[in-house]
Amino acid sequence: MAGAEGFVEADNAEAIIIRIEHKSRKIESLLKQGKPIEALKTALEGAPPKTQDERCKSANWIVVHRALMAIKDVDFMFSSLDPEYYDILMKYLYRGLSTGDRPTCDQCLRIHEKLTEKAGLGCILRCLADTVNTV
Amino acid sequence: MAAIAVHQFAQCITCHAWSPDHAMVAFCPNNNEVHIYKLIQEKWEKLHVLQKHDQIVSGIDWSVRSNRIVTVSHDRNSYVWNQEGSEWVPTLVILRLNRAALCVQWSPKENKFAVGSGAKTVCICYYEQENNWWVSKLIRKRHDSSVTSVAWHPNNVFLATTSTDGKCRVFSTFIKGVDIKEKKEGTSSDTKFGEQILQLDLSFSWAFGVKWSPSGNTLAYVGHNSMIYFVDDVGPSPLAQNVAFRDLPLRDVLFVSEKMVIGVGFDCNPMVFAADETGIWTFIKFLDERKTSSSGPKYGSQFSEAFGKLYGQSKYGVGNDAVESSRTRGGTHVNCINCIVPLREAGSSRITRFTTSGLDGKIVTWDLESQEDLLNYHL
Repeated sequence: MAGAEGFVEADNAEAIIIRIEHKSRKIESLLKQGKPIEALKTALEGAPPKTQDERCKSANWIVVHRALMAIKDVDFMFSSLDPEYYDILMKYLYRGLSTGDRPTCDQCLRIHEKLTEKAGLGCILRCLADTVNTV
Repeated sequence: MAAIAVHQFAQCITCHAWSPDHAMVAFCPNNNEVHIYKLIQEKWEKLHVLQKHDQIVSGIDWSVRSNRIVTVSHDRNSYVWNQEGSEWVPTLVILRLNRAALCVQWSPKENKFAVGSGAKTVCICYYEQENNWWVSKLIRKRHDSSVTSVAWHPNNVFLATTSTDGKCRVFSTFIKGVDIKEKKEGTSSDTKFGEQILQLDLSFSWAFGVKWSPSGNTLAYVGHNSMIYFVDDVGPSPLAQNVAFRDLPLRDVLFVSEKMVIGVGFDCNPMVFAADETGIWTFIKFLDERKTSSSGPKYGSQFSEAFGKLYGQSKYGVGNDAVESSRTRGGTHVNCINCIVPLREAGSSRITRFTTSGLDGKIVTWDLESQEDLLNYHL
């Protein structure tokens, strides 16, 4: 039974990876068109928190990271980012901070400050308290 | 002003309860005692000290009709206190727990009480006339972690619990000889003792503070992830709503009407949630005025000062000592609120007044009558 479940999970993981690859291409084209916010939304949409597969999580982090680093004007970003994205964005910011990479951390901290103003401490709590749906 | 009376009773209060006529208040000042105070000529005077527990008293409930106090403590025991003359006489209730008792509530008919514990169990206690003894019956093997809160359905049989495994559950507590089987129950024929009627997996973090609406149609509880959950149609196909809010998590809730809930917790300020005509619940406002005028990143706790430091002190204007500056914030409560108790008027189903207590040792009385913007939700 456990074996069968593992198989389903692996199968599912392949499908998720393919979807993320597809998403990655879409993000690249959006970035070329100068739409970084659209790219970020695309990256955050369909993020796979439900799966425990680390490969999927890493793959999606790479595309979110790509979109995050392309954000130049944080204030402008929040003017067109809907509140429904706040919780998932916060999770990725903490993932970014955990990398320890200087430019990534700089960018994440800048966004984190504005996001905390917008979404409040509750958003941070939801991110820290959720040990099941990690990104 | 929503807060009509504030009194500093102790350094810290774990829980409190009011006498049936609201003239006396019983609270635990964060030790093994229960103090009973009475307002005599505008001054609070200590009338009784109930000393029987060995450790911190974690729950107090004062029954309205039978005028009995039940207390539970980390020492794993419970006492039922009866007033005889001017004395409070305790009766030991052996809960048969191997961990601390955490919360207690009298059932609506006051013939049973429920105790949540750290031993992953719920005790349902009832009085056996022939033995002159309180008996504890346990609901075992259902909870995966400590039971943080219990709430009785108005039908005196259903009990809702929240637990640090993140789940909210509803049980039947039907006890032969104590409860009378009602033919028109309708919802389920197998209301055996300990039967789980519902399990809600809405939260991924600790759950606290469960309550039923006055009619028993809606259930509300909170998660430690700054979420509050509302559940309608408790039964085989429940309708759940998750409401995320932007501030620190709640610890306890109170239904003041079918459509309005007050939440209290780490933000030191009661939050009002209400349902609109379509039944959608939203955050309405903070009850304490201090919050309504402020805008932007001004939070009311030590936690936020840590963030202030992270971003650079000058910007947030925080002092050197985080605790110090949170004290000078000037709200009614200056630390986490962990207990909210209604002040029910006799013969009225709606609640306009309630009291809160917390880690700052204050008991604050709040009045909703003056809140005109909330009247719509409050009928």
